[in-house]
Amino acid sequence: MTISGKNAIVTGAGTGIGRGVALELAKRGASVAVHYNSSEAGAFQTKRLIDEAGGSCITVKANVASKEEIDRMVETVADRFGRIDILVSNAALQLNLDLFGHDDDTYDRTMNTNVKGYWQTIQAVVPHMKSRNHGRIILVSSVHSKRPTDFDPIYAMSKGAIRMLGRESAIELAGYGITVNMIEPGAIDVGKFRTGSAQSPELFKKFPGGRVGLPSDVAELVCYIAGDATSFMTGTAIRLDGASMLL
Amino acid sequence: MKLKEKVVFITEADTGSGTAFLHRLALEGAHFILNSASGGSEIAENLDRVRRGGSNVFVANADLSRSIEVNDLFREAEQAVGTVDVLIHNADLVKPALVETCDEETFLAVMNANAKSAFICTQAAGRQMRAKQSGKIIYVTSIHAEKPTGSSFAYSASKGAVKMLAREAALILGRSGVNVNTIELGPLEEDAPPFPSRLTTIYDDYRYKVPDAVLGTYGDLAELALYLASDGARYVNGADIRLDGGFLMHYSDRKMKKV
Repeated sequence: MTISGKNAIVTGAGTGIGRGVALELAKRGASVAVHYNSSEAGAFQTKRLIDEAGGSCITVKANVASKEEIDRMVETVADRFGRIDILVSNAALQLNLDLFGHDDDTYDRTMNTNVKGYWQTIQAVVPHMKSRNHGRIILVSSVHSKRPTDFDPIYAMSKGAIRMLGRESAIELAGYGITVNMIEPGAIDVGKFRTGSAQSPELFKKFPGGRVGLPSDVAELVCYIAGDATSFMTGTAIRLDGASMLL
Repeated sequence: MKLKEKVVFITEADTGSGTAFLHRLALEGAHFILNSASGGSEIAENLDRVRRGGSNVFVANADLSRSIEVNDLFREAEQAVGTVDVLIHNADLVKPALVETCDEETFLAVMNANAKSAFICTQAAGRQMRAKQSGKIIYVTSIHAEKPTGSSFAYSASKGAVKMLAREAALILGRSGVNVNTIELGPLEEDAPPFPSRLTTIYDDYRYKVPDAVLGTYGDLAELALYLASDGARYVNGADIRLDGGFLMHYSDRKMKKV
């Protein structure tokens, strides 16, 4: 795969999936902008892991609910790297409030980060990709773009919106050589779910393979989509959940 | 009479769909809470007609994307006609704008009008329905909850969001005897589809992409809403029903029924 020499932005790379994706892209030779907002210590840990692996990265802070901060982030990255080949949007808010727990403000916070932020980040990188007639935009969504959560309806609304944002972006940006795809992870071991050393019988009830996903599972798929072999693949959503949604 | 003494809340009463719901459901004995952008003035004749037929009607003009206004509306409506039995959310704001060039104001206007209002109304109506352990929620969405428009991405994103809201509400309110479904509406006879696009040919010859080459009407929409609002639909929950005459199934132009 041809990740080496590419430049990537990974949002929400101070924790979990974003960290795993940033690390794998860097290991394969990409220069990576490790974005964070509240997870500063986490972002520096991601940078440390990339440095130790011999990779190249910068950290960049932005609140993706703000267009100004998104624009500043993308300009900073473009100045440092010269061009932008890959965007992995991953930074999302999940407040875990139910239908009656959410209010106007928590709705806005969730949607502004998860939907408006994803859209405006696309908008900010498009000029950099369009000028070279090449780009890979990968939206990390969720199995909850189709399956309800039963714990946070607004989070699911944001993922349902991203599903259509991705489809619209795919047909609109295809003419610029930019692909837009979505990854829909299920439960990923980022602290809440633990795979542990032994496979527990309980896990088999929810995951046919007896384990939850790992950030590295998502990272492998990102690297595939980000490569040069996928120019015909756009507007798709790949569920990455160990078939748990089929049980 | 399938909706005798039931209170139906129509979120956009001044529109073509709102008018069709009003007249059809009035025939079944419903009472109404109507959110009217004109405060009732543009639908005065319709109001007279259904009132003469025996319906109680409460008219408001609230910004449904603000809880404070919706809660006031529900409080006043409860005094006037009672609590909501059927919520029909038919907000449908379209503002053509591309992903690449849309401004934030346009994006938020569409998302708030179509999706945030759905959440706020579901929360308010859901409280009342939970208290009486029954109710029906119907969202009029669009085939563009699935198919991109190529011209109005915020619209399809808003409809994608409502699709998930419906599924969530089908679970959480389903436990309180409430049925929650969406109608994914295709092109109709009355209005030309507002999606001019250089990216997709979906609406070229669209009448003939309906296999029978006959477009539906707001009357067809009202019939489906009546079904979903009635007891006969008690086992329909969390469903998206595409109402487009098969338009979205179209694939081969040369086989169109075009005389």
